[in-house]
Amino acid sequence: MKRLMLPHLALLTAACAVAQPSVEAPPPSRAPVPDAALRREAYHRRVDEVLHWRASGAGRPDPATMDMAAIAIKLTLREDLDLCSARVIEMMKDPGTGPFWMFPTVCVAYVGRDLLTPGARAAIRNAWRTTRQLRGDTENHWAMYYTSLYLMAELYPNEPAETWYSGKSSEENLAEARDYLVHWIDLTTSRGQGEYNPTHYIGEYAIPMLFLATWAKDPTMKQRGHMMLDWLFAELAANTLDGVLRGPASRTDEGSVIERWNSLASYFSWLLFGNTPPIGGYGGWGLYFAPLAKNYELPEVIYRIATDRGGDFVQRDRARTRRFWRYSDELSPAVYKTNYLRRDYAVGSTQGIMNDAIQGHAWDVTWAEADPRGKHATMFSLHPMSSERAMQSQFVTYPEPMIKGVTFEGKPSYDSPDKVVGVSYYERVFQDLDTVIALYDLAPGVRFPHINGFFSKDLVNVTEDKSGWIFARGGNAYLAYRPLAPYHWMKYLHRNGGWAKAAEDLGGRLLVSPHLKNGTIVQAASVGEFKDFAAFQAAIRALPLEFKLEPVPIVKMRTLRGKEIAFTYGQAPKVDGKTIDYAKWKLFEGPYLNAEVGGHKLTITHGRLERTLDFNTLTITDRVRAN
Amino acid sequence: MRPPRILPLLRVGALAGLLGLLTAATAATHDLYLCAAFNNGSRVMGSNDGSSNGLFKRTADGFRHVGINYPLAISATFDPRDAKVIYVACLSGVLRTLDGGTTWRLVTGWDETEPKSIAVDSQAPDHVFTGLPDGIVVSRDRGQSWQRRERGLPERGKYTQVVRADRARGGRVLIGCESGIYLTENGADSWRRVLATKETVNDIQQSPHDPRRWIAVTQSAGALESRDGGATWKIIPGLPADKALYNVAFDARDPQRLALASWSHGLLVSEDGGATWTARNAGLPGEGIPRAWRTAIDPDNGEIYAAIFGQGLYTSGDAGRTWRAVPAMEGASVQTFTFVPSSQP
Repeated sequence: MKRLMLPHLALLTAACAVAQPSVEAPPPSRAPVPDAALRREAYHRRVDEVLHWRASGAGRPDPATMDMAAIAIKLTLREDLDLCSARVIEMMKDPGTGPFWMFPTVCVAYVGRDLLTPGARAAIRNAWRTTRQLRGDTENHWAMYYTSLYLMAELYPNEPAETWYSGKSSEENLAEARDYLVHWIDLTTSRGQGEYNPTHYIGEYAIPMLFLATWAKDPTMKQRGHMMLDWLFAELAANTLDGVLRGPASRTDEGSVIERWNSLASYFSWLLFGNTPPIGGYGGWGLYFAPLAKNYELPEVIYRIATDRGGDFVQRDRARTRRFWRYSDELSPAVYKTNYLRRDYAVGSTQGIMNDAIQGHAWDVTWAEADPRGKHATMFSLHPMSSERAMQSQFVTYPEPMIKGVTFEGKPSYDSPDKVVGVSYYERVFQDLDTVIALYDLAPGVRFPHINGFFSKDLVNVTEDKSGWIFARGGNAYLAYRPLAPYHWMKYLHRNGGWAKAAEDLGGRLLVSPHLKNGTIVQAASVGEFKDFAAFQAAIRALPLEFKLEPVPIVKMRTLRGKEIAFTYGQAPKVDGKTIDYAKWKLFEGPYLNAEVGGHKLTITHGRLERTLDFNTLTITDRVRAN
Repeated sequence: MRPPRILPLLRVGALAGLLGLLTAATAATHDLYLCAAFNNGSRVMGSNDGSSNGLFKRTADGFRHVGINYPLAISATFDPRDAKVIYVACLSGVLRTLDGGTTWRLVTGWDETEPKSIAVDSQAPDHVFTGLPDGIVVSRDRGQSWQRRERGLPERGKYTQVVRADRARGGRVLIGCESGIYLTENGADSWRRVLATKETVNDIQQSPHDPRRWIAVTQSAGALESRDGGATWKIIPGLPADKALYNVAFDARDPQRLALASWSHGLLVSEDGGATWTARNAGLPGEGIPRAWRTAIDPDNGEIYAAIFGQGLYTSGDAGRTWRAVPAMEGASVQTFTFVPSSQP
């Protein structure tokens, strides 16, 4: 658990009086740019937009407006160099204590290594001697921590143990950091990401990897950084709908889970793919990517995957859960992700595993919006689990204080019965194309013994049908939601980002079903597939559907796509009589991304373009396949 | 017959508390170290909230911060040959100082994280044992290098909350894990389970009066006692098992007196060797039951300490009947108490 040190975007935005053109402008064109030079030019323009916005909003007459991002950017632009040095010296008098302080400081140390005064450089170096740094307890903490330590140890080689906060010499720090980073990359490229599809934390991986790719002296580490950037952005590309990251997430929050666009991932989509607006303040942390962004060139194959939604595709991938210290037969069980993307909407899910005790998101249907800003273009259900045992499984804590602690530390919605973020021990999910079945078997006595279904303010024609289905339209998608137990409605009250203490009414409703044995079925289709809304409803009603909730929830149904599905809580689902065997799933399998479990090799494909990232040999191979 | 109380402290007010500390410090034959945080346990990964956290040493003026400002220091232990050698289990691993806190080294690597407890074998003081969320690491060179020594531990269920070395017999170490208590009698070359539990064993303490007597407290199995050095265990009747018990403390001066801390039950005291227990929560802070996080009994004067989560440190000279706040520890979360013989160099 941690308090994510998000910059106060509102303050940041206020401090920067100049406009944020792409934040305020109409959404960008989603038409792919086939010309590589034009694409590159547009990418550079976006990078420059970020740099100039932050640089112009900081500095004289008030140097206190310069945070580490502003300093890094001003150094990049060769502006106010004297002010940068003075401000660094001032800020290093009160250094922070962990990875969110370390990586901005590394950024300034490297960008300014030939620009800062000797005094400013010495102030940074001295802070790395005097201030004990927390390593944190999550994979993103460690990616930042060890990348930062690695680069600082390379920047200051051959220095003795007493000159480092760790009490280890430059060489010892370098070796430890390298060992961890290589371990993490090996693990990720063989068993998948632990923090997969994170709405915000993508920056906490992409930024360190860009640092490595840019600054590591060791060519193998530089190459690893570069290849991991491709890996991260290939996953982002394959999981976005017009630049909006949707579907399951290892870690997210209320703001992103209902307004899917509203995440740092959108900043990266904007910067790299140019197909969605960036979030305000360019995501805060995104500012640390910008100074080095021109050192990275997005491979065309990834760009094409991100921007081509002309054809439907299914991608089935593996990932890992956060570590289970207790109450699990495995340290980090496999997560099986299914993603189905179409032009008008996308459906994504995991199998319903508790991947992260606080911030997980298991499944949703998200539709495309012409302008995704402010739109709650998504539908899902969840059990709002709040559990001491779940906390203890992934945190080194006693049972009682953790829930209080997590609400105190910045996620007050965790212990709310009305929350919309979280995964549960008691949820099992199966997805086939654009049908999702989520079954719930809540233990008697469980805190919050009900299911929440999220019904957006942006749905239209919400119709509670006598058949038991609830029909609606979102964008150009028709949606059918079938609660399997009685329910009632309540107003959805939003806690922004999960951090705000107060809830606000942004519109939308929760379907609340207060029954232990429960379930949700959702089916989606494009508006263009049916003559009208009534025809969609008729098609859904006509599909055979049987279900029962005792002794455990069971659904047998035919989907809109003609598949016969049988799904029993706690058992492997069947499609057309064939049992789904998750153990046979590859690390990535689909038209765009393919990798074997344990293979350390990802093949990225679009059309005839192919890029292979081979971590066994640390090589990148591009080819144009024969027709 | 109960030994006389050497230091009948004044019981009300900060001045009284300060006087008490002064008196205690003057007469003490042990130094008291605390692992404590003033940032309310918040794991702020990047900011500096200005608080001092980590290791504190009792002085005549109260508690003095020692060495490092580290927000998540959990457990401390010492080399019995040289009290300047301190090991601190903290979020990032094990910190060690060889000079009483002037310089520190994070002696563990990336593969050891979030240790909860650390112990030195007093019969073989180069041997240091650290409990991790995923097992045990052992150093046989004063923390310079570490090895996993887990033969006999289960693949899963070895989340380790507490590590205690038998002060009387070298090579004997008990660890409290998710799946029970495990014992090694050969310095962690092998382990065997001596108690099975369904949930975590939170604390294990050896009696200062009888080295064969141990008490363990657990998350959901109440408290247990061993009279044979930890080989077999029996439930201690009369103690709750519905909620977690966090830790237990013996009184080195009075074999009849014990104290026990629990978030849900507060501070429990026995004055008859553990036969009966009484809640002694009056005067401790909090709405309803005080969230007792840790307790300890000063071996020099019998003062009972109660660390209340996020609400500071309290002490009692009358077995918990009345409490007074320890000055300058308001708002602290105290993780552990470590008493070190002050005769050590």
